[in-house]
Amino acid sequence: MTELLKTPLFDEHVALNGKIVPFAGYEMPVQYANGALREYRFVREGGAGLFDISHMGQVRVSGPDALAFLQYVTTNDVSKLAAGQVHYSALLNESGTFIDDITTYKINDTAYYLCINAANRHKDVAHLQQQAAAFDVCVADESDATTLLALQGSAAQTALQPLVDSNLEPIGYYKFAQVHINGTPAIVSRTGYTGEDGFEIYIPNAIAVDVWKLLLTNGAQPIGLAARDMLRTEMGYALYGHEISDAVTPVEAKLMWITKLDKGNFIGRAAVAERKNAGPQKRLIALKLTGRGIPREHYPVFADGALSGEITSGMHSPIAGGVALAYVKPEHADSGALSVEIRGRQIPAERTTLPFVRSNVRR
Amino acid sequence: MTIPADLKYTKDHEWVRIEGDTATFGITDHAQEALGDIVFVELPEIGRTIDAGEAYAVVESVKAVSDVYAPVGGEITEVNNELESEPELVNTDSYGAGWIAKVRIGAGQVELLNDDEYTTFLEE
Repeated sequence: MTELLKTPLFDEHVALNGKIVPFAGYEMPVQYANGALREYRFVREGGAGLFDISHMGQVRVSGPDALAFLQYVTTNDVSKLAAGQVHYSALLNESGTFIDDITTYKINDTAYYLCINAANRHKDVAHLQQQAAAFDVCVADESDATTLLALQGSAAQTALQPLVDSNLEPIGYYKFAQVHINGTPAIVSRTGYTGEDGFEIYIPNAIAVDVWKLLLTNGAQPIGLAARDMLRTEMGYALYGHEISDAVTPVEAKLMWITKLDKGNFIGRAAVAERKNAGPQKRLIALKLTGRGIPREHYPVFADGALSGEITSGMHSPIAGGVALAYVKPEHADSGALSVEIRGRQIPAERTTLPFVRSNVRR
Repeated sequence: MTIPADLKYTKDHEWVRIEGDTATFGITDHAQEALGDIVFVELPEIGRTIDAGEAYAVVESVKAVSDVYAPVGGEITEVNNELESEPELVNTDSYGAGWIAKVRIGAGQVELLNDDEYTTFLEE
């Protein structure tokens, strides 16, 4: 077994009584002393939750062909991005299934920045570098030098502003600014994975501990992976390895909104177009238990008494109750009485809409 | 970490209070702390007969699902219905308001430890 990696903030997590677990090849805090529920509530109820997500990867794409290259390797229409704008996107393989889901930042016409999943980093970078051979671009993996923090919740801007040399207020949702923190260049985007207002902050490792401590001094509280997963699941946000994987295309994953078939050719386009015409092999639905219990990943989902699929992410939402995302057979996506099998018993469920709880992101 | 002297304990971190022919079951302070925030408890049906060591209830924390095993065998006579609306009682008062079920004691018991033995077991 490969040795687990540590982020530059590992000692801080231990000092804060973080319960450390292996995650995506890293030793990461699943919760701190307050516990996952209090952490979750702090973010949902007006705080500024601080997440170390440095395990995620960052790739800089630069050169004269940067736009053409990203149009070819990602699904979203990069030509629509303005400098200072971010969008959600994906890397597909030729079969139209997911290599990863990513965010793309446009720095300028010849420089872009990608944020990728930790577990897929080496696969993504190898794929991007291989594809880059046909373009005049440089693909640089900056992950090991970069610390990524998420600061989420309605108090996020108040906690972050004193550290930053420019006004955060004008940064809109899915926009970013290149700023200085303690005199060091940083990227700050109004993005996140919680459904609350907040920022993701890319800084060099050298200032990671200082920034972490300053944010805590400004009222932020550390939030672990368990609360992060609760917050993202309540929003119905997809997570690689759960809703998306190399076994599904954007047609199944309800991600055609980031897959622009009319933008020109890109890797996986033909396969996705074919799947779109043929219809999805399964469909992602949102469900809510009407009986007691907690729907969890891999629990079987039944429609009209027959096995139809399984849960990909499920939880007990303190606000919405037992909620889950699940893949079911296409014919059951819109009709049929649903139930979830929990420890051998059928617990009734109903379809619902996303997000499971109200989103407070800035629009 | 509290370990009351008037209870018996199992190596699976359950406690049992034996009073006459009635036994009250719960999970220990150590168990609740290891599980984290408990958000759901599946209670057994009253009248069900359980063997010593049998899984009779389920506690679910934010991230984990855990079976709870019976320290002694018997018939379930009472369950703590408060846990349906307040499962967090298992966290906040694991030896009191967080009790799970009562049984009329029947045959069999798993290895039961007193408070000192359980303390030693935890230290090992």
